[in-house]
Amino acid sequence: MRHSYLRFLGLGVATFLLLAACGGTSTTPTKVVRVGLVTDVGGLNDKSFNHLADVGLEKAKTDFKIQASVVESKTGDEYIVNLTNYATQGYDLVIGVGFLMQQAIGTVAGQFPNVHFAIIDGAGTDAKGNDLKLPNVESLLFKEQDAGAMVGVIAGMLEKSGKAPKNTGVISAIGGVSIPPVDKYIAGYKWAATMEDPGIKVLIGYSNDFTDPAKCSSIAKAQIAAKSEILFQVAGGCGLGVLQAAGQAHVYSIGVDADQKDADPSVIASALKKVDVATYTAIQDVVNGTFKSGALTFSIANDGAGYALDNLTLPADIQTEVDSVLAKIKSGALTPPTDIPK
Amino acid sequence: MAASPATLPRRGAPWLPDPIRRAGRVLAIPLGSVVFAFFVGGLIVAASGDNPFAAYQGLVCGGFGTFCTGGQIPALQISNTIVYVIPLIMAGVAVALPFRAGLFNIGAEGQFLVGAIACTTIGVKFSGLPAPLLLPLVLVGGMVAGALWAGVAGVLKATIGAHEVVTTIMLNYVAQWLVRFLIVGGPLQLPGGFSVSSPIGSGAQLATILPHDNQLIFGLPSSVYRIHTGLFIALAAAAVYAFLLWRTSLGYEIRAAGQSQRAARYAGVSVRRTIIVTMLIAGAFSGLAGAVQIAGVDHNLTDKYFSDSTGFDAIAVALLGLGSAVGIVLAAILFGALHAGGSVMQSDAGISGSLVQVLQALILFSIAANFLSTIWLRLPRIGHQQPAGQAPAMGTEGAPETGEKGGAGEP
Repeated sequence: MRHSYLRFLGLGVATFLLLAACGGTSTTPTKVVRVGLVTDVGGLNDKSFNHLADVGLEKAKTDFKIQASVVESKTGDEYIVNLTNYATQGYDLVIGVGFLMQQAIGTVAGQFPNVHFAIIDGAGTDAKGNDLKLPNVESLLFKEQDAGAMVGVIAGMLEKSGKAPKNTGVISAIGGVSIPPVDKYIAGYKWAATMEDPGIKVLIGYSNDFTDPAKCSSIAKAQIAAKSEILFQVAGGCGLGVLQAAGQAHVYSIGVDADQKDADPSVIASALKKVDVATYTAIQDVVNGTFKSGALTFSIANDGAGYALDNLTLPADIQTEVDSVLAKIKSGALTPPTDIPK
Repeated sequence: MAASPATLPRRGAPWLPDPIRRAGRVLAIPLGSVVFAFFVGGLIVAASGDNPFAAYQGLVCGGFGTFCTGGQIPALQISNTIVYVIPLIMAGVAVALPFRAGLFNIGAEGQFLVGAIACTTIGVKFSGLPAPLLLPLVLVGGMVAGALWAGVAGVLKATIGAHEVVTTIMLNYVAQWLVRFLIVGGPLQLPGGFSVSSPIGSGAQLATILPHDNQLIFGLPSSVYRIHTGLFIALAAAAVYAFLLWRTSLGYEIRAAGQSQRAARYAGVSVRRTIIVTMLIAGAFSGLAGAVQIAGVDHNLTDKYFSDSTGFDAIAVALLGLGSAVGIVLAAILFGALHAGGSVMQSDAGISGSLVQVLQALILFSIAANFLSTIWLRLPRIGHQQPAGQAPAMGTEGAPETGEKGGAGEP
């Protein structure tokens, strides 16, 4: 019986060697591009930009046959560790998702000048937030005001034409934290709504949080009590509480970043920030050898921002106006502001 | 009752020398918990269709730099682990010390955060001071802040009997929101819109152990290795803890109050004073951890402190370490390695980093659910081979001060 055991072992070894040999010959000499994606503490299931970054990565994986890997950061302590791990392993491109990683990208990209880095919503900065302008860092930025303006047009037109739930003439926005990516959304929103309906009142509140829906929900309820009937959330996972609060009060809500149609029936539209397009573009740049340092801005003009219609069919006249504003922003005839109008 | 340990009946494996049997008995519970957690964790990985061996290989690679397959640099992985271990040791002590006094300090996180806040505030405001002055100032500032934070809970417990679990948990929230307030639109926020504070002065920063430049060490620029001199502070903190507990009269009072407040009172110990002093000292350890984290790693207060969990992990570290200084260091190494290893486990084996948190929770669960009562009953007797049912002796592995038990038991 020992013999048969040995025979199997021999067979196994032979098979293994054969497979190993095949493996050696079948790989092509062209180098496979390796891309590592590091999420921020929001994690892949945030239904927002971490999720979209992963969507872009998966698409690139199919299109360019790259080797892709993802790490979710569980705490902020891990940003440097996760970025460094990919850099030391010889990855060609390391993508950090979110402005929370700015300083970590600045540090690690400085240490690994031969690795490409890309960061969504930020740049590689020092401890004081100054852009280090490193030659190996691509900043993937968005004109959030473009997307905010589109949903602002919808909200303003609904109020103006009397198609809102109660026609109170009051709409609102809930921001996570008052930082540029959030405020630009709100700036475009308020600007466009006021443009369509000059008499409109726009309430703005901040939850100082991006993760806890309860905090955003309580701010949303206060705004609803102040007669707001279209609520735009710009607060990531926290903002899901806004959508639910709007649903309970039978008023409208607007989603952010990704299409949040399924988050709540009250979601009439979503302001889209196409992080998937940005991620895909950065990977494409590395694959094609066209990687450029500095800012790469995604807007309506290059289809990197936009809007989605969700659980409400817009009346034809409103849709016409939305299309016309979209075309004007695309052509540059209209430029939404980056600062929230007074 | 006055039988000395030597005359007690031997249990277990009588052929083994005493020290080994003793060590085996002490280690059985924590090791059992860890093995249990890894076994169940492996089942969970297997059940979700992944390879548990690949997962643990990634975990070990990320934690200790061994068995790496993805081209990781072992020295870097070890350095990352140690960076995580440093605050865990100090915060672990901050949980273990009150535990000895019969107090559950769930507030290590809050004390850690106020320590970080104090260190940042002082380090920014007095950034011009030279290092020999500023560095002690920020570290002591962190300790004082942590001590005051925990002291609130201590005073409330000692005076009006407010349960320290409730008060310390609530103080955690206060500290977490204080951090948010300070760097999100508050006085510490750096102008420019992002939720970070200004960096502390260079004199307030703890040096890294390796040179902080681009000279290559193990093929990487040496600034990649973030391991810093806070390591020595952490080890010193563990040593101070052991000394305080076993070689000072305060340590005796703490342990006496932890075993029986009545007996301690009878022996002339002021339990109220002991509770307050214990919490003050514990808070100082945790505040020091926060200060060291700012001075050694981050150099400014950032939004990553919103998601910090050092003080909560410290509870597990203190429990797993059975409240002994050496145990805390070992448990901190395990939790630091789990934290660091989670990254590699995800990137190499493609397994969710949440599994690491599952493992930590399982370790805590197996200690808390099955063994907590055992630990609690045996804590005073670990090291003495005394059958259950006999009156507990006070001395333990570190200091067999047999005279202690007389105070309470023999009027």
